[in-house]
Amino acid sequence: MKKIDVKICLGTSCYVMGSSYLQELVDMIPLKFGDKVNIVGHNCLGECVSRGEHGKPPYVQIDGEIVESATIEKVLEHIEKKL
Amino acid sequence: MFIDIDCARQKKYSQNAYGDYFASKRAPGRVIAVLSDGLGSGIKANILSCMTATMLLKFIEAGADIRKACEIILNSLPVCKVRKISYSTFSAIDCAEDGTARIVEEGNPKFIWIRGGNILDFQPQTVASKTFADRQMRIYDIKLEIEDRLIFCSDGVTQAGLGSNGLKLGLRRDGVIGFILRLLYDDPFISSRDLSKSVVEFALSAESFRKAKDDISAVSIYFRSPRKALVFTGPPYHAEKDNEYANAFKNFDGKKAICGGTTANVVSRELNVPVRAKISVNSGALPSLMEMQGVDLVTEGVLTMTRAAQYLEDAESAISDDAAGQLVKFFLDSDCIDFMVGAKVNPSHYDPNLPVELEIRKNIVKKISKLLEEKHIKKVTLQYI
Repeated sequence: MKKIDVKICLGTSCYVMGSSYLQELVDMIPLKFGDKVNIVGHNCLGECVSRGEHGKPPYVQIDGEIVESATIEKVLEHIEKKL
Repeated sequence: MFIDIDCARQKKYSQNAYGDYFASKRAPGRVIAVLSDGLGSGIKANILSCMTATMLLKFIEAGADIRKACEIILNSLPVCKVRKISYSTFSAIDCAEDGTARIVEEGNPKFIWIRGGNILDFQPQTVASKTFADRQMRIYDIKLEIEDRLIFCSDGVTQAGLGSNGLKLGLRRDGVIGFILRLLYDDPFISSRDLSKSVVEFALSAESFRKAKDDISAVSIYFRSPRKALVFTGPPYHAEKDNEYANAFKNFDGKKAICGGTTANVVSRELNVPVRAKISVNSGALPSLMEMQGVDLVTEGVLTMTRAAQYLEDAESAISDDAAGQLVKFFLDSDCIDFMVGAKVNPSHYDPNLPVELEIRKNIVKKISKLLEEKHIKKVTLQYI
């Protein structure tokens, strides 16, 4: 089975808006989903620039789909839907 | 050639101010520095040594006659209530990048000159003060060669351990020389920063219970080929020039760093080298380092540089091992640092929802370059792209 790819944006805007806390997912996800999910950090997904003033950081990319205003709960929920 | 200079200090035990003072300045083509030891210790010594060092630095920079300068300083220092004299000792160094150096000492231990693991012996010209007959200055005009080192100490180093069982007369000049030669044998290319720190640490360990009986200071000068570094921060203003700048970065001869997630993306895209960000559970701290082949250091931008500026500003405090600490280490281990500052701004950084502490890149780079130049005596160039 193909793994779900989760990318957490660690760029400046996302980091100050909460992705620093999202890093805890690196411990939570394997506990909850085993090896079905592949989680990595990203230097900057570029969403803050492309979405401009309508953007809502922090951003997390799950299998190519962007989750805005991401929280730990929101990310876990999205992964569950995908599974 | 590059003159790598640094000073390490330790306060006398139970005092809350340094009695020794070190001042230095990098003028075009030369470095001027003064190490002064004030009479007594604590605040009084701090004032005497600070006045001596800063006045002498100005006099030398202006090209004044050193003898006249010293007389003026001695006459203007405040008189000690206890000893009824105005006094502070000093070592003044005026070193040009072609290797010619003039050194003037008064009262401080004779400096140490090392070439190829050997101590060079040299005779000074002695000049007595007109108004203070017992005060003599030693003047040396020397020619340095590449890889030469000069070490200046306050008497707190040569007299460390004085009166203890093992060292009845303290470390003395010979003890300090022995230590430095062993250190250089193990690490011939040690930086001035590390060498001066090691000498102070050695002197402190000679004192019983590591309680310094006097202020301990060591200045190291290392004459060597410059270590170059390039920092690329911020995407270029004209996106069509991304490739040109990414290639200039790739072809740079020296150590390289990237500060900024978007900048890393630009370089990664143009040079076709992947960048990897690491996750570390460190909520609230700085984003961790990233990895890119061929680049020595890749960090997030504004947050990391702001923290690095804080570390550079407060040089006495311990530098943490986070990304900003690594960036500071990168700076301090280089002599000439070039900044390529991309002028493109990320509008999302100006979102009023973001913390106000989020600095503007240009300002923070300016602040870092000023600190590196003035406080850490580095050569810095800024290029806005």
